[in-house]
Amino acid sequence: MKYKILIVEDDSTIRTQLKYLLEGSGYEVLAVTDFADTIGTVKEYAPHLAILDIKLPKSNGFEICSQIRSFSDIPIVFVTGSNTDMDELSSIMLGGDAFITKPYNTAILLAKTASLLRRAYACGQAEILTWNGAQLHLESSLITCNGEKAELTKNEVKILYYLFKNAGKICSRNDIVDFLWDNQLYVDDNALSVNMTRIREKLAGIGLTGFIKTKHRQGYTL
Amino acid sequence: MSGRQYLKNHLPVILLNLLGMLALALFLLAAGNPVQSVLFVLAVWLTVVILWLAAVYLKRKKYLDGLLAMAEGLKERYLIPEIMEEPEQAEGQVYYQLMKMAEKSMLEKINGVQRERKEYKEYIEQWLHEVKTPITAMKLLCENNRCEFTKDMLAELENINRFTQQALYYALKGDDFGSYTEKDYRIREIRLEDVVHGAIAENKYLLRQSRVAVTVDGMENRVYTDERWVRFVLNQIISNAVKYRSGEPVVHFFTEKKGNQVFLYIKDNGVGISQSDLPRIFEKGFTGQNGRMLQNSTGIGLYLCRRLCDRLGIGLTARSEERGGTTIILSFQVNDFVTGARG
Repeated sequence: MKYKILIVEDDSTIRTQLKYLLEGSGYEVLAVTDFADTIGTVKEYAPHLAILDIKLPKSNGFEICSQIRSFSDIPIVFVTGSNTDMDELSSIMLGGDAFITKPYNTAILLAKTASLLRRAYACGQAEILTWNGAQLHLESSLITCNGEKAELTKNEVKILYYLFKNAGKICSRNDIVDFLWDNQLYVDDNALSVNMTRIREKLAGIGLTGFIKTKHRQGYTL
Repeated sequence: MSGRQYLKNHLPVILLNLLGMLALALFLLAAGNPVQSVLFVLAVWLTVVILWLAAVYLKRKKYLDGLLAMAEGLKERYLIPEIMEEPEQAEGQVYYQLMKMAEKSMLEKINGVQRERKEYKEYIEQWLHEVKTPITAMKLLCENNRCEFTKDMLAELENINRFTQQALYYALKGDDFGSYTEKDYRIREIRLEDVVHGAIAENKYLLRQSRVAVTVDGMENRVYTDERWVRFVLNQIISNAVKYRSGEPVVHFFTEKKGNQVFLYIKDNGVGISQSDLPRIFEKGFTGQNGRMLQNSTGIGLYLCRRLCDRLGIGLTARSEERGGTTIILSFQVNDFVTGARG
């Protein structure tokens, strides 16, 4: 099932681009364009999470938030350009779940969204990714295949996670490093090569030889 | 009021009296009075004149010295006409009137300048918040269309963002800095880890573009401070590390706890700072040898860092050996009362 996210943002470029970004991350997204009846849209669309800008024409995010809170407990993320403490305090008082200031880091926005959705709906089921008979266990940092298992380091789990998430597509080395940086693992190109070699050794150890393929000058793919 | 000047000012009066005395003496002598009685009359006259001059001098001096002391003790000296008593003498009243006029025009001028400054400050603040919208939009556009070109753009956007932050903190400093800080910083318990990773994330593309190897160690310490301000300080330090890099650049973040102080080190292997420049790098407008070499140093970044750190009670020092990189050290006080009370 895809989670539904509602965007309430008055700047049209941000609205469209944020929609693309979230859709690209696997969410169903609706962006409000008529701010006169935001609440009606919320009721009708019944999103799993709402992203609210504070400064809006005819209304403001705080008002909308308190109105939503009168009938729903969905996670609400506030996004604002003016980062005063008063705004942050008000957002918490009115029941907002996160407060992000512009210009935001997309990685942080996506991570916040994902963690709020997980906390609100997924009730603690361990995340397991599967591809071609191999299973990646995120919680326990393990990869298993046909009953055999290999333990992975933090870097290796993240690299494999990225490859599994983009299974079938070519992942450039640059994108992988970018993803690792977003996860606070500051590896460089050389370190990535070392990590890839180790992962391949471990995979070969559980019978997954040639699981990760190298595309010359392009990157890796599962 | 100097006595000599006072006597000089009263010279005509004194001369007039002397002339009068001479005339009287001649008249009395001509009328056949004995010399003794004439001398007595003159002595009485002279005594009266001297006593009168002395009395007036002392009275005026006391009054004027009082005024001077009053002005001395006043912070806004131009407000002296407001607290002084209106003089009784005709001349003094005119001077008093002049001072009142001067004060009024001064107040009008000050009010005008203050209003203008306030409006300008508000405009700058508003502009700085507004510009965040297009920056965010551009960031999203770049993120959604990833390629080498947009990555370079993202690095430039990080620079723009840092400059706008710099302007925001600069616009809010000065005399109003105190009032601004009171309403806008908030001390809470933060994890150093969060603020360091946050600052790195804000400079991700810049660091990646310049191929800087980043390592972060031992960030388990917690400190009491304002996260946003510290992140701004770290942003400046990271950008300097990138700007003055050399060879294969490395930036290493690590912490150390000594007694009730937590030290955060940011160590790079860049060009370093010469010993003669080192004591002055936090001064406003100071660029030093490195700045002159690169020609794009403003001497504002580290100066703002120092101002913010002073406000937050964070120690900020730099260590460097030329050709041996730079280490910037932030030292936080860990309040034993708070941690102690929590057990």
